[in-house]
Formats: sequence, C-alpha cells, structure tokens
Amino acid sequence: MTATAGNRTTELTAAGLDGQNKATLGRMLGSGNIGHAAEDANGRMSATVRIREDELCWDPDILVLPHGGDLDLTLINDDKNTHCAVLPSNGDNMIIWLVNNSRGTAALNLQGPGYYWYGSTTGNDEGRGLTAAIVVSGEVPREARLDRPAQPRP
Amino acid sequence: MTANYVDAGQAVPLSTLSDVEGRAPATSNVDYDRILAARSEPQNWLAYYGTYDGQRYSQLDQITKDNVGKLTAAWVFQAGSTGLHSGASTYSFEAAPIVVEGVMYVSGADGYVWALDAKTGEELWRYKHASPFDVSLCCGNVNRGVAVGHGMVYLATLNAHLVALDARSGERVWDVTAGDVRAGESRTVAPLLVKDMVLVGSSGGEFGTRGHLDAFDARTGERRWRCYTVPKPGEPGSETWPDDGEAWQRGGGNCWVTPTYDPDLNLIFQGTGNPAPDFDGAVRPGDNLYTDCTIAIDADTGEIRWHYQFTPHDLWDYDSTMENLLFEHEGRKLLAHADKNGYFFVLDAATGELVRVFPFVDRITWGEISRDGQVTPKVYPDEEGVPVHFWPGPAGGKEWTHMAYSPQTGLIYVPVQEVGATATRRRREFQESIPYWGAGVAVDLDDHYGYVAAIDPLSGEEKWRWRNEYPMCASVLTTAGGLVFTGLPTGEFVALDAETGEQKWQFQCGSGHHSSPTTYEVDGRQHIAVPTGWGGWIEGFLPGLLGGAAGNALFAFALPE
Repeated sequence: MTATAGNRTTELTAAGLDGQNKATLGRMLGSGNIGHAAEDANGRMSATVRIREDELCWDPDILVLPHGGDLDLTLINDDKNTHCAVLPSNGDNMIIWLVNNSRGTAALNLQGPGYYWYGSTTGNDEGRGLTAAIVVSGEVPREARLDRPAQPRP
Repeated sequence: MTANYVDAGQAVPLSTLSDVEGRAPATSNVDYDRILAARSEPQNWLAYYGTYDGQRYSQLDQITKDNVGKLTAAWVFQAGSTGLHSGASTYSFEAAPIVVEGVMYVSGADGYVWALDAKTGEELWRYKHASPFDVSLCCGNVNRGVAVGHGMVYLATLNAHLVALDARSGERVWDVTAGDVRAGESRTVAPLLVKDMVLVGSSGGEFGTRGHLDAFDARTGERRWRCYTVPKPGEPGSETWPDDGEAWQRGGGNCWVTPTYDPDLNLIFQGTGNPAPDFDGAVRPGDNLYTDCTIAIDADTGEIRWHYQFTPHDLWDYDSTMENLLFEHEGRKLLAHADKNGYFFVLDAATGELVRVFPFVDRITWGEISRDGQVTPKVYPDEEGVPVHFWPGPAGGKEWTHMAYSPQTGLIYVPVQEVGATATRRRREFQESIPYWGAGVAVDLDDHYGYVAAIDPLSGEEKWRWRNEYPMCASVLTTAGGLVFTGLPTGEFVALDAETGEQKWQFQCGSGHHSSPTTYEVDGRQHIAVPTGWGGWIEGFLPGLLGGAAGNALFAFALPE
C-alpha cells in the first residue's frame, strides 16, 4: 500500500474520487471546494452555495463561518435534476426544495465552534456527493471557559 | 447556467411538513413549591427522578401485580431523525419522560425535545438544537432528559449550552453557553429545578476537563454559582493533588448525572466522576478530591458542606456520578448510593458520616472496602504496558441507570452489571479535547450477567434477585401497585413483583433499554412510559451486545380501556 502526500486536489482527481461514476459511484464527501461566508457590520453572515450540472456536489463543499450566529444562505441549483436541502438550524432543521434551475434562501442560526453537515435528502443524493459542511470557527465566550490556565492543544 | 432562476422561496422548518401543530396545551405552573410536593400529585411526573429524593417511586396503583399481565402498548412515539449527526453510531434514547397534566416532555439524542400528548402519543411540538457533528463525546450522542418549570422546558445540549424553551410552543426563550466544547466539554445531564435555579452538571471527564455543577437563574439564564469539583491550589482538598503540577487543571470529577436535593437541609447531593486520566494515577498522586465523591452542596451558595469519597485515587474509571437516593429511618435522614466500585453505601445525609457499606455485586477484584469504609486497592494498572484484569469493569457494578426505593417494602431495587475488563496503562500527554484515559481498555465480551437486586439498605441483606443473562443497563421504577419495572439490553420491558422478584409481565420493544421509565395518569388511566434505543457507551457496559438492534422509540403502556 502507498499513501498520497502530494497535492490533494490532483490526487483526488487522479484517483477518480472527485466526480460522478469514476472510481467511486458518487463523489467523495468533503472533496469539493472551500468557501468563506461574508459578514456585515452587524455580524450577520451570508454565503451562496450551488449545485453545478451533473456534479452532485455543493460548491463550496465546505463553507466556513467566522463565528456562530445568523447566516443568510443562498442556494442555487444549476443542475438539470431536482434536489433539495435539509439544513441545521437552532429550532428545527430547515428544508428547501430545489427544482432544476432554481434559487432560494435559508436563514440559519448556528452556534460555534463546531461543524455541521447538511444535504439533499432525496434519493441518495447525500451518498452521491450532495452532503456538505458548514464550519463555525471561533471560541466560546470567556465566561463559559474553565477556570484554569491555558492548556495545550493538538 | 441560466440567468432566470425559478424562485425556490425560503427554507422552512422541517416540522411544518408534518402533522405537528407546534402548540401544546397550557398547563398550570410548575415551580419549586410544586416539585417539593410532587408526591401529592402522582398523576404527574414533575422532575427527573419524580421527586427530589431520587426514589423513583410512584403512588399510582392502578396497575398491580394482579392485573399487570394485561398491560399493553397504548401508543408508540418514533424518534428517528434525518441526516448525519454527531455520534451517528452511538446515539441512544436515554431520557426520563416528564409529564405535566397530560403533556409529556422528553428529549432525545442530538438535541431533540418533543412535547407529546401523553394520552395519545401525538407530537405537539418539537425543538431541534443544531448540534455540531464534531463535539467530543466519550460515551455517545445521548441526553437524559429535560426539566420543566416556570412555563419553560430546560435542555442541556451536546455543545454545552443550556436552552430554555417555551413550554407551549417549543420556541427558544433563552440560550446560554455553559461550557467549552474546545476543552472537550459537553452536556448530557437532565437539568433539575431547585428554588428559582436550574442545576446543570458538566460532562467531559474523559477529556481532562475540570468538573463542576452550575446553577443558573431559571428565568434569565444568568449563572448564579459554579461549584468546581477539583480544587485549585490552596483551596480545601487541594492537598490531595500534586502541589507542583498541573494535574488539578485536568482533574475530571464531572457531574453528568442529575443530583438529588433535601429542602430541610438545603443540600444538593451531587455525585462526581472519575479523576483524569482515568487509569494512569502516577500523574496525579493523592486521593484526588472531590472526584468519585458524593458532595453535599449548599443550594444557596454552591459551597461544598461535606463530602464522602468512595474510591480515593481511582485507577479503574469508577465514577460516582450516579444518584444519591434519600430516605428516612426513625427520623434520620439517610442517603443510599450504589457505586461503580461494587459497594453500596448508606450515609447520614446531614453529615456524610458512613452508616453502612457492603458489596452489592458478586465479583469484586479491584480492591476491598472494610465495614468502616477503609479502602484497600489490590489490582490496578500501574505498570506501563502490562494488562490488568479487574471486576467490576469501568462501567461499574451499576452505572448511571437508576435504582428505585419502595416505601411499601423498604427495599431498594438496583440494576446490576456483572462484567469485568482489562486495562493496560499507556501514558500519554494531555492535549485539550483529545481523550485522556492513560490506558488501553477492553471490556469482557463474555462471562457477563446481570440482575435486579432487592436490597434492604438498613441491613445490607439482598432479599431477592431477578437474574438476567446480560447485565442490567436501564433504570428501575417502582410503584404502589407493588411492582418493579425495568428494561433489558435485549429489548424486553419487564414487570416484577416488588416483594418476591417474580416476573409478572414482559413486552419486547425491539431495541435494548438504556433509559429511565416513568409513570403518570391521564384521564384516570395509569401509563408506564419508557424510551428504548440501544446505544451510548455499549463498549463500556456490554460490548457483547455491540451488535444489538438499534432503535429510537418511546412506548407508553396501560391496561386495556
């Protein structure tokens, strides 16, 4: 056995892991692009994710937020098939149906730090690649931290 | 790509695409005074243990040993979820359902809370806390229940928040960050209302956190006090930790099981977890107070009034978080505690003085505790790389699942796990949020069994034993109908005669039990409610059933109408 240690994007492509019906049947989760949410002056965040034609992958596949809070997410389906999104949010999961060539929005409230998966819960879209992550960066508030000196982290 | 998109609109809550109305009937207010008198309204189950004393006893007597054979499922609530969630392979339905005037409030894995019609099982509202996939969880994606009061439902979450929900709608009223997930903290405990406060203990002992119990203002979420279970240098108990080291900073002693409370003494009785690292004691010489203790905490100040340590300098992962059941004998307030270490303790609740200690399991090899409470360790992992086998294993002779006390019989019914383990010390450096065990551990895959033991706490005598092929990993409930209810790891829910232990009834729920059944009455009909869903830290308490059927359902049983 050999393990790869070079450019990950190149390696994923060479191994047939970053698309549909190559080495894998669907696209490996987490093999897509990384994007970052924008933030307005009030700390409210916004971002856009889209499904490109026949890729069955959210783009970006990993969306990074600078902190927890409210996110206005625009979802675009550029594919020629129908999908949807079930997204995490405090209160209840949020669902939006995305027919071919459609565009919608989701208002999400997420706490951090930590990351969350969301996906298109129709057919086995989730397994084919339409499962993506929202990463919430940052630290918990100071008052929630343990009363002890700073500790080593990995 | 086309410029003119079809308008897909705005995402909506998933529950709007269901028959959930999003409203529960108003109930009369639940507050401290009402919970104090909870025994006077047995039709409701107002708090985690039913009452502050932790007895898990109900005065309902419609279901008796004579008619329990006719008990049947009144309804089933299925709690399955959508999408990837944290602890996807370890979720478990562990809650104790709360019931107020026909409305049941129950939490599930992964941040779910539901209000159900306790008569029909209809889902009235749901709340889903968005729970990060990557939180540190030693023992599964679990939650042991909610507290209800002041028109709100209180939930502690895997990402260490405390959330207050409107009891009528399930909508969030306030949300506070209670702990640090980057430090490996989480929350799995069922909160407890005491006075105008909500008590919530920490989880995260396997990640080297510093354990504590918090009291929050029940109306606003403002923290009133925090009681750390591992003292800083110079504080009482700090002499039991190395005075020149960092061990106290990662000392463990978490409070992941709901405390009991005595209003006359104004004391909260909190069990504390194992020291960290679990099995490598050489990095923390000393008794390591207040780990593996019952601590009696002043409810008003959060100060520790007394403590009793069950396993000083623990080397076997013998948390003492499990309940401290309160009862009285000849006017004396007593506290009963069945510890992971296999010994049953009776303490004076006012002072912490040891009244009696005796073994309640068959096999104890880790050490010995004398009648006067002297602890002598015998077998422990102290040499690097050398495997050591001991009984009970790290899940203990009894884990967090609760015993019950019947004033009718004077007996305490204890779910017992007979399973050992092998630990091999493997030193590692501490890194925040990374498991900090100090050993490799393998719990026995066979040579295990379990039983419900009916114990007289005044004499230590085991009056009867109901034996099971597998360890007993679910809480016990006892009722004035002369019955003892509990669930099996293989899915059966059983009723036993409280006086003799004779099995009177059983129902196969389809998945193993690792929860706390409760009982209530609605429209004159007594129900027994039990969540089922095999999961959690199975590799710790019964790895021989790691392949057991998963599930996620709540059953309510009643006599035929």
